[in-house]
Amino acid sequence: MSNSVKFRLNGAEMTYTENPAMRLLDALREGYLLTGTKCGCKEGECGACSVIVNGQLYNSCLVAMGSLEGAEVMTIEGFSKTERFAVLEKAYQEVSAVQCGFCIPGMVLASECLLASNPHPTEEEIRVGISGNLCRCTGYNSIVAAVGIAAQKGEGLW
Amino acid sequence: MKTISKAVPKLDHYEKISGAAKYVCDLPTKGMLFGRMLRSTEARAKFGNITLPELPEGYFFYDKNDVPGVNKVQIVLDDTPVFAEGIVEYIGDPIGLLVGSDERVVNQLLKQIQVEYEVLEPVFDPRESKESFFNVNIDKGNIAEAFANADKVYEEKFHTGLQEQAYLETNGLIAEYVDGKMTIRGSLQCPYYVFGAVAQAMGLENENVRIVQDVTGGGFGGKEDYPSVLACQAAVAAYHSKKPVRIVFDRHEDMIATSKRHPSYCTYRVAIKDKKVIGMDIDVLYDAGAYTTLSLVVLQRGVIGAAGIYNVPNLKVRGEARKTNIVPSGAFRGFGGPQTFFAVEMMMTHIAKDLGMDAVEFKLQNAAKQGDTTSTSGRYHFPVPIPAMTEDVLKASDYYNKKKVYQNQTGRYRRGIGASLVYHGCGFTGNGERDLIKAVVKLKKSKDGMVEVLTAGTDMGQGLFTTLNKIVSSTLEIPMEQVIVALPDTDMVPDSGPTVASRSIMSVGNLLMKAAKRLKEEWIDGEAQLIEQRYEHPDFMIPFDNDNFTGDAYPTFSWSVNVVEVEIDSLTGFIKVIGAWGCYDVGTPIDEQIVMGQMEGGFVQSLGYGMMEKMEAHNGWIRNSSFSDYIIPTAVEFENLHVMLHVVDYPNGPFGAKGAGELPNVGPAPATIDAIQNALDTTLNKAPFIAEDVMNFLREVK
Amino acid sequence: MVTSVFAHSLKEALEYRRNPKWIPYCGGTDLMVEGDEGAAYLFVNQVPEMRKILVEDNRLRLGAAVTFTEILNAAEVPQILKEAMGDIAAPAIRNAGSIGGNIGNGSAKADSALVFMVADADLRLASADGERILPIKDFYLGRKHLALKPDELIVEVIMPYKGLENYYYQKVGARDALAISRLSFAGIMELEGDKIKNFATAFGAVADVILRPKEIDAIMIGKTLEEAKALKEEYLKAIDAFIVPIRGRVSVEYRKDVAMNLLKDFLEVKGL
Repeated sequence: MSNSVKFRLNGAEMTYTENPAMRLLDALREGYLLTGTKCGCKEGECGACSVIVNGQLYNSCLVAMGSLEGAEVMTIEGFSKTERFAVLEKAYQEVSAVQCGFCIPGMVLASECLLASNPHPTEEEIRVGISGNLCRCTGYNSIVAAVGIAAQKGEGLW
Repeated sequence: MKTISKAVPKLDHYEKISGAAKYVCDLPTKGMLFGRMLRSTEARAKFGNITLPELPEGYFFYDKNDVPGVNKVQIVLDDTPVFAEGIVEYIGDPIGLLVGSDERVVNQLLKQIQVEYEVLEPVFDPRESKESFFNVNIDKGNIAEAFANADKVYEEKFHTGLQEQAYLETNGLIAEYVDGKMTIRGSLQCPYYVFGAVAQAMGLENENVRIVQDVTGGGFGGKEDYPSVLACQAAVAAYHSKKPVRIVFDRHEDMIATSKRHPSYCTYRVAIKDKKVIGMDIDVLYDAGAYTTLSLVVLQRGVIGAAGIYNVPNLKVRGEARKTNIVPSGAFRGFGGPQTFFAVEMMMTHIAKDLGMDAVEFKLQNAAKQGDTTSTSGRYHFPVPIPAMTEDVLKASDYYNKKKVYQNQTGRYRRGIGASLVYHGCGFTGNGERDLIKAVVKLKKSKDGMVEVLTAGTDMGQGLFTTLNKIVSSTLEIPMEQVIVALPDTDMVPDSGPTVASRSIMSVGNLLMKAAKRLKEEWIDGEAQLIEQRYEHPDFMIPFDNDNFTGDAYPTFSWSVNVVEVEIDSLTGFIKVIGAWGCYDVGTPIDEQIVMGQMEGGFVQSLGYGMMEKMEAHNGWIRNSSFSDYIIPTAVEFENLHVMLHVVDYPNGPFGAKGAGELPNVGPAPATIDAIQNALDTTLNKAPFIAEDVMNFLREVK
Repeated sequence: MVTSVFAHSLKEALEYRRNPKWIPYCGGTDLMVEGDEGAAYLFVNQVPEMRKILVEDNRLRLGAAVTFTEILNAAEVPQILKEAMGDIAAPAIRNAGSIGGNIGNGSAKADSALVFMVADADLRLASADGERILPIKDFYLGRKHLALKPDELIVEVIMPYKGLENYYYQKVGARDALAISRLSFAGIMELEGDKIKNFATAFGAVADVILRPKEIDAIMIGKTLEEAKALKEEYLKAIDAFIVPIRGRVSVEYRKDVAMNLLKDFLEVKGL
């Protein structure tokens, strides 16, 4: 490896030349100053650091930068500019699903990945879809409701 | 439902969901030093020489010798050192702080520090501890006579374990010392607690201390007293290094070093006559851990709640918090209540079983009513809507039918259903509001008519800023956009007290409503105005006597009834909660969805406390120090969870509101254990009760 | 700075592998928990030869870099494996985690490895100098001790495609999602006519390695259900002696009880 990784970050071409063993999470927060991706545990057990890699939900704490050659990475900063985000954002707002907010960027990206693969999920499928994203505040009911609302209101978007 | 209760978009919704909100860990770190604590690896030891590796330029190590003021953290008593003084009292006790510009280098250097320990005998079991921190006693009626007159006396022991707050954002702060003034900012619940602690430790005048809250990712009590400790440590480093010092814990450090819910050991003796409780004689023992921190006030609440919601004419409670050599326990939503409410609720189910009665019937028969005396010989001044709430929850959960069906089960899966009836006393215990807090709030109106809410109240996700805005804007009858509630900064806001004890809406919100009423009356267009409102003790309260522990401990109570249904896999012990119902009386909700979110979230935390969240200090080591070992609920755990509100106006709260946040953390755990004992057809005495406990039980009955 | 290398083909990967300093990195979900920034990784997550799922000669070939999610979505994959994959952690881990990593990590808690064990799968191991096929049972030598030579990579898992339909699978975790196995069990009984053609059990998260009591299971093979029923007590006794649990997040007693309970349930459900 010529010690450089080419990948796309929120649509922009990037060439990463730092340590390939660094976590994507740390590179995002420390290197690219994208702090919407949160660090909750660094062991893939909380989902606060969720990002989308090649269309799929990943824990960015468990991704080494060197593995991202050619990958397309999207963080909450990039996703928040999309139409789908707008629908999810409104749906979360409608049921006051955001409390402390620390899990929420990851939760929203988990919602997006779920709806992208399953635009009409059942309640159970929603719960499974966000089951890797811990939330200590809400008890999850409102978040599950929000994803359901987004699926309805965003008809055709996913 | 009142107009005010209709949900509005939360003020911080967009910045949080878009990822734009800046928590302390998100702030730019340029020019900052990163700090990592050197922590004791011994549970109890004297320590001597600390051997440091050669520190690169710009890297510093600070310890007790570097504290410019008093090396004690101001909490309730001043026994928690900023940095240990020659002796460490638990694994994780901070000895010193290493700071430097590269976090990775700091971590490397930290591993090379050597500490010489002379190990002392530690104590891990509070029942064996000889060191009593606090005693809190209740003596009501004539307990000896009650037991002499009893038809039957029951005696049992109960135990609850540690519980970790597990907020998603770990504790973290930044300290900066510029021009003689120390500023601390970060994740915290109580700016003025931190303020007092930093002033004392640093020997600084009040005008030279400033505390600012950043967006805070959950607290649940875990950021009540702990940030005071961390702030003093960070301040010492900022003071000497003349650079901003940032300390943000990783999950492991947060779990081993910050406060938890107190483990408890309770012994109940209950006198029954004609199927009525006529006396309770209770020993309450809380494991405080190594330092006193908030144990006195936690214990007080536990002792007051030890008789549950029941009208117990003769009551004796001996409460004690003892020292052990584990991480200090402190505040956790419910604040001493969940432990004794667990014990009394289980006790009542066991007595009912022996009497051949349904537990809920027995409990209702003994429940206090409006006008009855409280455990501290105060009064239930306001309605006790427990019967109506119970009816609603039992109906929603089909409790009686299920209870009938769930008997003599022998198959692989066994179901059970259980209930709990509890309260949470609203606000500070006793005279705290009047004598200690003395809350002050301000409303500052600018010339253009914008109204700024000035309180020390913090929003850590519970929606306080939105709630306070609604109270003020509704009272003033102006749009919410015309009212500003910002993150508190002690340079700007008065001390309206800490954001704890389910007091913020009832106490601070009430002061704001009064201030807003005044502002409305005195409103002059085009003029800047400032309204200040000070706490006034409700005149209906029976004065609280701290020495004898008598009088009104709380102006009022929030009530809840919880039903939990479980299915147990007898092959694996796995416990699945298949239904959960809760009814909550928190007065009039200022925002229905915010309150529902609080109730649901607390409900799930308490279900976790009952059947999932096991944390143990094994020889002083917190073994469950990660999210893979400390198991908290995910979205698939409790799929069938229903919360309802029972709305009764509280006349002394703003718009009829009273305490809310902690209530849901009290009842679900005992309801869960009641359901488990129903499924296993036995009586249980401890929480949490997890799969291994199920298998141990099944092995024994075999 | 320690660097890492990225392999575009199996050949390239195996060439790198001649130097033992490179740590093969597939999905990263285990390696990155440690997150050692000084590690030198050999990224094999995009090696085309390790990314395939195909059926050949009635055998299912799964590339080592295939993720749990890909297995869940693949039509060719037997249900028992899908069920195990669906129980792993949560979506993000399933999207990243690979079977090669799951096997190579050497944990007795590995959920995919349990199914590969009960299915008597083979591993295709390759080095720059050649390749070999090793039964997965012989791959695990002891706690974190593998029969993988320093220059070898796990390239593929090769397992039966049929005969796994009559299965029993259960993972016991501490909660319904994001759970690490506290015990796991898989059983297979394949019937041909009225005779048991194949009988296999495997126990995960009970000892240092996944237990696969092949010799004991063999006593059931070739028997009718009636004959097998008569052997049940003897069989259970032998398994009971065979399983010697170690203490982990749960006690020895818990593991033993649950292992035996699930085994008995398997027998009962399958008519024995």
